[in-house]
Amino acid sequence: MKYIRHKIEVMKAVALVTYKEWSAYRTHSMVSIFVGPVYFIVQYFIWTAAYGNRTELNGMELSQMITYFGASTLIGYLTMDFADWNLQMLIRTGRFLTFALRPIHHRFFAFSQKVGHRVLGLIFEFIPCYFIFTLLFRIHMVPKHFGWTLLSVALAFLMNFYVHYILGMTAFWFTQSSGIRRVFDLLSGVFSGVFIPLVFFPMGLQKALFFLPFPYMSYVPVMVFTGEFSLAGIQMEIPTIVGLQGIAVAFTILLSEVIYKASIKHFNGVGA
Amino acid sequence: MKIKRYILIYRECVKVAFAAASTYRLNFILNCIIMLIGDILFPLITILIYGSGAGFEGWTVYEVLLIQSVFTMSMAIADMTFHGILWATMGHVRQGDLEMVLILPVDTMFLLMARTFSIDAVGLFIGGLTIFIVALSHIALPTGFMWLQFIVLFLIGLSVMMGIALLMAATSFKWVGNSRIPEIFDSIRSFGKYPQSIFPKAVLMITTLVIPVAMIGYFPATALLGQGDIKMMLILIPCIVFLILGITLYRHMVRLYQGVGG
Repeated sequence: MKYIRHKIEVMKAVALVTYKEWSAYRTHSMVSIFVGPVYFIVQYFIWTAAYGNRTELNGMELSQMITYFGASTLIGYLTMDFADWNLQMLIRTGRFLTFALRPIHHRFFAFSQKVGHRVLGLIFEFIPCYFIFTLLFRIHMVPKHFGWTLLSVALAFLMNFYVHYILGMTAFWFTQSSGIRRVFDLLSGVFSGVFIPLVFFPMGLQKALFFLPFPYMSYVPVMVFTGEFSLAGIQMEIPTIVGLQGIAVAFTILLSEVIYKASIKHFNGVGA
Repeated sequence: MKIKRYILIYRECVKVAFAAASTYRLNFILNCIIMLIGDILFPLITILIYGSGAGFEGWTVYEVLLIQSVFTMSMAIADMTFHGILWATMGHVRQGDLEMVLILPVDTMFLLMARTFSIDAVGLFIGGLTIFIVALSHIALPTGFMWLQFIVLFLIGLSVMMGIALLMAATSFKWVGNSRIPEIFDSIRSFGKYPQSIFPKAVLMITTLVIPVAMIGYFPATALLGQGDIKMMLILIPCIVFLILGITLYRHMVRLYQGVGG
């Protein structure tokens, strides 16, 4: 119990410092108040035109599609991550060594930083955009199952963090892993359903996506938000898909631990 | 004489860019591949929409791809030739060493563009060109006059891109170190990637007259599709005005810049 309380205290302290640090650059976050709604407007017109007189496409109604993109934007603000960039920078400059000497696991430190950073995102990105979507665009932005949505977003938060952290750890071997990160960003943008719902992909690819981390980072929480989940022709109950997401997150955490141990053995701290 | 000197400077900068790319060959190849993949993924959305049986009324998938390929090629040329001015300006302003550029006996705007010439976007251009050829092979063969219209409109589209780049760079003088400035303009530019008929008139007014992003991909592509008319040529005026605005604002911000002696 004492251990957990101590961990929470550490997390609070790191998150608070990160929050204060990034608050100095809050206009950086506030760019989203413009960018998010503009992209949403573009999506709105694209899909309104694409639907034409059709009532549904690939099992999704237009209203569900609009909600999908609204939810995708908002959830993106809560789960966004750049642990990979940070870790890669620390390794390349040799500054990771200072973390190896601290009485705190770097991953836990990075996770605490993400908590602080995303609290800022909640205040300066999520809340303003939520009001723009609901009051200005009149989009129904209330999740069908609030509790499950909250849990799914929390799992997506973890998934995003651990996947990006694993990606960052590639720098232990390649030092300059910006190329790998760019490829991943590109693939995750498409295969996590940010640009288009995954039900639009060919069936074989949809099946394969169940075994990849991408859908659990955005598509699953967004579909849970809309109240219906379907992929590869499989319709799942919300608790089932959130459970599956939980398993995927647990697997990613284990994988992260294995890679971290191997990485630390490989790390030689040159450049510090 | 002055122009000759500027051509020589530009040539030297291009040589340096090639030398840098050949030094970091792996990075260059990787960037080209990434841009190529990105190129394939961008029209994928359109293909998936049409693949699901939906589409934009009055537009075939190849016509939409034509718009998007023209947009991509324009983006690639901009990335190679003048987009670097934003990052260069932002970096110099943040570090307080723009004086090092200002004291040189060359136009600041020109020098920053020349110095940031990058061949990394060649992959993007090749990808865009490939989609362009594929799309073109599925539409009626354009006449010589249509090609002429296309070239003029494409160049004007590039001037809009340059106007946007200069506005972004000018913004970075006041909004110091905000790496998200391009996102603002990218979001506006995304209106130019689709047939303008899907947008309401109010949006159309903005994308053709205020921030003429429709000129980047849409209008040049419609010229090739034989939909160009004299009215389209009138839209050249706001595009030129937009470029002049970008240049004027950038030069104004350079004049306002106060070095900190760093």
